[in-house]
Amino acid sequence: MPLHCRLKNIKKGKPVPTVTIDGRKVRVKKDATVLDAANKADIWIPTLCYHPALSPDAACRLCMVELDRGEWRQLITACNYPVRKDIVVYVSSERAKMARRGVMELLLARAPESEELKALAARIGVKETRYPTVTESQRNCILCGLCVKVCEEIIGQSAIGFTGRGVERTVAAPFRQPSEDCIGCGACVAVCPVGTIKMRIHKSEQEVEISPFKSRVKLLVCEECGEPVVSMQVNERVLGMVKGNIEDFLKHWRLCPKCRRSRTAARFQEVTGCEKD
Amino acid sequence: MISIPVKLKKPADIEAFAHSLKNPEHTPARIVRVCIGTGCAAKGSRKLYELFLEAAKEHGENIRIEAKCVGCHGFCERGPIVVIEPGEIFYQQVEEPDVAEIFRETVLGGKILDRLLYEDAGTEKKARTEMEIPFYKVQHRIVLAGNGRIDPTKITDYIAEGGYSAIAKVLSSMTPEEVIKEIEVAGLRGRGGGGFPTARKWRSCREADGLPKYVICNGDEGDPGAFMDRSIMEGNPHSVIEGMLIGAYAIGSEHGYMYVRNEYPLAIEHLKTAISQAREMGLLGQNILNSSFSFDIRINRGGGAFVCGESTALMASLEGCTGEPRAKYVHTVESGLRGKPTNLNNVETWANVPQIINRGGKWFAGIGTEKSKGTKVFSLVGKVLNTGLVEVPMGLTLRRIIDEIGGGMRDGKRFKAVQTGGPSGGCIPSENLDTRVDFEELTQLGSMMGSGGMIVMDEDTCMVRVARYFTEFLQKESCGKCTPCREGISQMLYILDRITDAEGQVGDIERLEELAELLEGTALCALGKTAANPVISTIRYFRDEYDAHIRDRRCPAKECRGLFRYEIDEEACKACGICLKNCPVNAITGEKKVPHVIDQDKCTLCGMCWEKCPFTAVLKI
Ligand SMILES: Cc1cc2nc3c(=O)[nH]c(=O)nc-3n(C[C@H](O)[C@H](O)[C@H](O)COP(=O)(O)O)c2cc1C
Ligand code: SF4
Ligand code: FES
Repeated sequence: MPLHCRLKNIKKGKPVPTVTIDGRKVRVKKDATVLDAANKADIWIPTLCYHPALSPDAACRLCMVELDRGEWRQLITACNYPVRKDIVVYVSSERAKMARRGVMELLLARAPESEELKALAARIGVKETRYPTVTESQRNCILCGLCVKVCEEIIGQSAIGFTGRGVERTVAAPFRQPSEDCIGCGACVAVCPVGTIKMRIHKSEQEVEISPFKSRVKLLVCEECGEPVVSMQVNERVLGMVKGNIEDFLKHWRLCPKCRRSRTAARFQEVTGCEKD
Repeated sequence: MISIPVKLKKPADIEAFAHSLKNPEHTPARIVRVCIGTGCAAKGSRKLYELFLEAAKEHGENIRIEAKCVGCHGFCERGPIVVIEPGEIFYQQVEEPDVAEIFRETVLGGKILDRLLYEDAGTEKKARTEMEIPFYKVQHRIVLAGNGRIDPTKITDYIAEGGYSAIAKVLSSMTPEEVIKEIEVAGLRGRGGGGFPTARKWRSCREADGLPKYVICNGDEGDPGAFMDRSIMEGNPHSVIEGMLIGAYAIGSEHGYMYVRNEYPLAIEHLKTAISQAREMGLLGQNILNSSFSFDIRINRGGGAFVCGESTALMASLEGCTGEPRAKYVHTVESGLRGKPTNLNNVETWANVPQIINRGGKWFAGIGTEKSKGTKVFSLVGKVLNTGLVEVPMGLTLRRIIDEIGGGMRDGKRFKAVQTGGPSGGCIPSENLDTRVDFEELTQLGSMMGSGGMIVMDEDTCMVRVARYFTEFLQKESCGKCTPCREGISQMLYILDRITDAEGQVGDIERLEELAELLEGTALCALGKTAANPVISTIRYFRDEYDAHIRDRRCPAKECRGLFRYEIDEEACKACGICLKNCPVNAITGEKKVPHVIDQDKCTLCGMCWEKCPFTAVLKI
């Protein structure tokens, strides 16, 4: 940070703490997290339950790093540890590495089939887990909670949530029934770090299913080619958000992107008389 | 009797009111105190109370006799307990038919009924009063002092015993900082488990930015077998309220919550009554005793899970969310309930406060050890002669608690270990019995003070099973939010299961140790961080028992099925044939006058013969 900015910040009474990560120094805003600082310093810390768009819960415990407390070092989670003063952190110390590997081994035992997880494990030096699978109320779900969070915080539907305690904990819609609140947007599918949540298209029923939650939502089908476009409810919501002169837009909203493009191309040809190559 | 009074308008009114309550004109000549604590009530003490009440009524007016309900004395095992004043005659195991005799002989006649007195098992000496009973002799009762004396449903009883004089003192002559100083001088530390210095917590909360500030009493008490906080809430609810009043004044809070375990209906009832009485008298509400200080308390029922006792989970539960912990990198004194500065203390911590203000921090600091001051209430259970609730000065040795208060081991068995600190505490072996009980010493031994559980175990207890028992409890109570706790405890339990099922593998101890280290370092809340204590402390002191299970396929305490066998002692066998008839798989052979034999290949280790043999000729080998 340039000196004048630093001075400005100090004048405003906002200290700009320094974080020393594996010897590299970076300055971050007060209350930024250790993970933010690591990103700034270009140091990678593995994460699973963290997403920049969502509030951190620090549930997976994969992002463990060591914090220097003077007399001793404490393992902390990088994704939610707020930086409030100058601190010294170790990402690649032996203890931090062992902690992350230990957590990863436990996760692998829970989600042995996830390719995504195996890849991340390999990247932090875990080839396989020594533990048997002893908890699996929901196979291959690591209970990171990102799906629950995105549905609540971003989509605003809270269609899924945690049920059960301890080893019985699962992510499900209320009463484990298909949820009425699910709009089939697929945000949970997108954030799931282990590829367990899937979107299935049931063409014949013109429905999208979010598995494993069993919720099904009607699909908008392209009026030209009959291919599924998007869930009806997502479409309605998006339409509600479009502002301004949308007449032209409305002519095309029942088309899939491919057909929309070819229709535009056809019109282009009509107007200009040129063949599109 | 004085009926409920008067609104108290200034601090000095309390003393005057207490004085008027003690006027001999108002005090009965004879008092029958019937314990209605949960233990005694379960044995029918409510009915005893009604019978005494009736008897007193029938008797008429020439001597004023009062029958009253009081809170738990701690010696629940000997309940129902009835104490007669004057003389403090202590009757135990009183039954309905005894009432008439007690009333006639003792209450009216002043004669003592020997058969209802406590008899010391060793000396056979009868004890007339509480103080003659070894169980009470070594105790030092501060927070339990009112239990057994006052009627918890009557604010007048509490005031007559000096209650609410501490808040009067605070409001009339102390600044908030002076109050905190006094608690600091006392050296009071949290009784909810962590032993955090109370004054430091109060000060941080006082200094934190943000309004309103909240004050909470943790009455969740989820440890299995613990009933310290319950007895205080049931037996002396006003002491907790007064403690909270003083704390709120010091911190600058106007809003208090009591978070009480749902399974404690009597505690909730007594607290509710106490709060409404305190409000009526002007001790809660706006401008208390005409000062500028306002404070009120609401009661919330607990969410039902053990983890709800953890500070952040408790606050989440109070907010109406699922009771799950969150990271504490920002402390709750800064950002707690609804993101506001919040001070949480345990029931027993709060109950100590009025006494410290009344008698001074120096007095309190004079009790206990260098770093642990005052007393601690324990629930002493297990294989000792006397079990119950005991309050001892910090620094008393485990040996004295077990031998003098507990009366030594039951059935002449040998002591093996004492488990302290609740489910995530540890087991302490006989070599360490002379340890002085305080926060540091117990932690050093790999156990902890916790909230005050104390389970005494004898030679017949398998330590691997003990570890397994607590691990299973914690596995069930883990909220499941974070990976190490949810998955790690389950993995530990899986290993412990196989060890006790005769399938232990070489290397299992090391695997357990590795998981323990992972849990301690990486779990989100203290439940997970300390969950391995039972396993680690038993490995530390009883590693040979683990080895015996794993390597020799033998359970030294002979508790684990499959790790010992049954054999019939030829000498002791009278060839009665009972075992033979009872064996469900016909593994026993024998004839009249010929000692019977168990066919080890057929035996399924069900233990039926062992149970049925009238001559204890069946042995566990
Ligand atoms: C899993 C768990 C359960 C707890 N249960 C209780 C409880 O039932 N009662 C209690 O007072 N403290 C309990 N605690 C400790 C509280 O988090 C907190 O430290 C305590 O109430 C603070 O009060 P103190 O400073 O007066 O001890 C528990 C802690 C954990 C980790
Ligand atoms: S340590 Fe256990 S109880 Fe605490 S947050 Fe993690 S899973 Fe929940
Ligand atoms: S990424 Fe930090 S705890 Fe999951």
